[in-house]
Amino acid sequence: MKKKVVFMFSILIVFAIVLSGCSSSSSSGSSKNEILYWNPFTGPDGENMKKIVDEYNKTNPEFKIKNVSITADDMYTKIPTVVNSGKGIPDLTIVHAERIKQFVENDLLTTFDEKLADYPEIKAENYVPAGWNIGDIDGSRYSVPLDVHSFVMYYNKDLLEKYAPNALDDNVITFDEIREAGEISRKDGITGIGLTWTRPIFLSIYNQLGGDITSDGETPTLDTPEAKEALELLKGLVDDKISNKDGEDPGQLFKSNKAIFYPEGIWMQNSLNEAEKLNWGITSFAQVSPDKIVNWTSSHQFVMFKDENRSEEKTKGMMDFLDYIRENSLPWAQAGQNPAALATLDNPEFKELPQSFLVQDPKLQESLKIFDYKYNGFVAEEVDKLVGDAMFGKLEIDKGLANAQKAVEDKIANNKK
Amino acid sequence: MINTGENKELSMSTAIMKNSRKKRLNLSPYLYIGPHLILFGIFFLFPTLYGIYISFTNWDLIGEPEFVGLANYAEILVNKDSTFYDQLRIGLGNTFKFVLFTVPACIIVPLLLAAGLNTKPKGLKFFQALFYMPTLFSVSAVMIVFAMLFSVSFGPINHYLNVDTNWLSTQPYAWFTLVIVTVWWTIGGNMIIYQAALNGISKDLYEAASIDGANSVQKFFKITLPSIRAQILYTVVITTIAQFNVYGQPLMLTKGGPTSSTTVLLMYIQENAFGSGISIAGIGAAMAVILGICIMIVSAIQFFFLRQRD
Repeated sequence: MKKKVVFMFSILIVFAIVLSGCSSSSSSGSSKNEILYWNPFTGPDGENMKKIVDEYNKTNPEFKIKNVSITADDMYTKIPTVVNSGKGIPDLTIVHAERIKQFVENDLLTTFDEKLADYPEIKAENYVPAGWNIGDIDGSRYSVPLDVHSFVMYYNKDLLEKYAPNALDDNVITFDEIREAGEISRKDGITGIGLTWTRPIFLSIYNQLGGDITSDGETPTLDTPEAKEALELLKGLVDDKISNKDGEDPGQLFKSNKAIFYPEGIWMQNSLNEAEKLNWGITSFAQVSPDKIVNWTSSHQFVMFKDENRSEEKTKGMMDFLDYIRENSLPWAQAGQNPAALATLDNPEFKELPQSFLVQDPKLQESLKIFDYKYNGFVAEEVDKLVGDAMFGKLEIDKGLANAQKAVEDKIANNKK
Repeated sequence: MINTGENKELSMSTAIMKNSRKKRLNLSPYLYIGPHLILFGIFFLFPTLYGIYISFTNWDLIGEPEFVGLANYAEILVNKDSTFYDQLRIGLGNTFKFVLFTVPACIIVPLLLAAGLNTKPKGLKFFQALFYMPTLFSVSAVMIVFAMLFSVSFGPINHYLNVDTNWLSTQPYAWFTLVIVTVWWTIGGNMIIYQAALNGISKDLYEAASIDGANSVQKFFKITLPSIRAQILYTVVITTIAQFNVYGQPLMLTKGGPTSSTTVLLMYIQENAFGSGISIAGIGAAMAVILGICIMIVSAIQFFFLRQRD
């Protein structure tokens, strides 16, 4: 009997340890000489970030970086809980640019304002404007950019030569040119353009046509003539069989040399390199007219969540790390991204990288458009539901746009109530 | 001796003392249920109550929840102009459809397989393992495999059937695919239960029936089915509850499309509470409570029939 009781108690204790282990693991990282650094990088991105952190820690800084990579969804769910509880708050965190306004509004972020005085090189002139400007809210600096990653256009060099030899003469591929090429290639069973992630495709075109997802930073504007025009353009490509059919995998088409054009993110290069027989090139996203070039872009940004216990010295340690990143972003570029820090631009190795054209050319730097609306998340959810169904003819465009507009408005209203 | 009240009181208090001492000594039952009780409290009772509380508030998961009474329920149940009203109607409708489509198949197919295996064919263990295996895979692994199988231009299914059906984003194929995948994935659990039940049926009954000249179909309906009625009803209830909580299959396979026709309620709940926008946790929680009530009602009806027949 006594043995049994002891046994049961030991089981209980094991349970208690397991349960308490769950909660303590998150707070243990914030030890004295360590900077707890959260980022949403997994897979190859995660490996590259780890390399950068390891290299930095080898320089023997006063504060070592503790790299914690969490999948983006989990990280964004954890952040409010952790910041509210006040325990285990990460010192430095990477978030997507579109989220920053929300965090500022909810008073979760600390500004970099006072710290920047000691680091004169962390300034607007040394970063790509699209990435830098986003961190400035009402005159305060809330974030420092790591990269600017864009949704551009890949093309099959051999097929381009065959079906649209003159398309790239002015460095801009227009939808008219895609159409022309696709109409010829269709007869050979070659798809003109493979349409993948509909959200950046739609938003790029929408913005080229003069639309934007908000009129004043507060009101959503989805149900507009420009949006309708953008969806009709996409639907036209589907109807005339210039694009892939509904359900056909555009990535597979492109990788097996069966599609000429393939809009995708610059971060997808590695997966294209795996296709051995593919000879690809990269340029700006397809344009309606060559006069206004838009490349849908997002950016990973360093932010500091509020933490009363964070010491001055530790903050300084973090700034040291950011300054190091500014000068040593090449490994990050090799992962397929464009670093936001211009220091890397001078590196000959960076100039060799296919995606570097976007930040090398000042004119293209201006084409990088980040949709940084406070309610970007709500818009994204609705656009994701809308575009695919609309362009493949399963949803009436007018009705779809009206529904999407209404849904975003309702979500905003219920959020404010 | 005449018993005085005083004495009586005295004897009672000693009895109580004895009793309480006995009780204090006997801790072991609590130790046995203790771990379960703790886990039940932490992972079930507390989250449930907290979820119900959130459904009465307006909260973005960041600031303080603000109590709004029944406003969230009014929004999703009564306000016909609201997006959330549509979400609940569409989401709940699709969830019910999914339950209706999958539960019969998830009962009948494993039952037939179990009956087949019960005849002890050659390679019994092999087939048993083969049918049970899918249950062990994670939902994402299964869905990735099936997305490839059903792919329009590169999938083996279209290749061998020599068609180019869009299995994942046109109706009614999207529903068909979801049901097939779900049945394949969940066959194992119910099959094991039926196998155990079939093993327990006395062979005498079948022998007697054979002597009376019954064929195998008659034996199945007159002996096998009635003997395992309790297990069948049990699996019906459990499977129904499980299918009400469908989430991974439509999320990964059809992404809720085409035109929201396979978006189940849990997907809307997730989007509202933990979507890419600011959290609308109150609305999400209210939807979750309503889903919970639906599951409770359906289970209660099923339990009612279970009790009636026994």
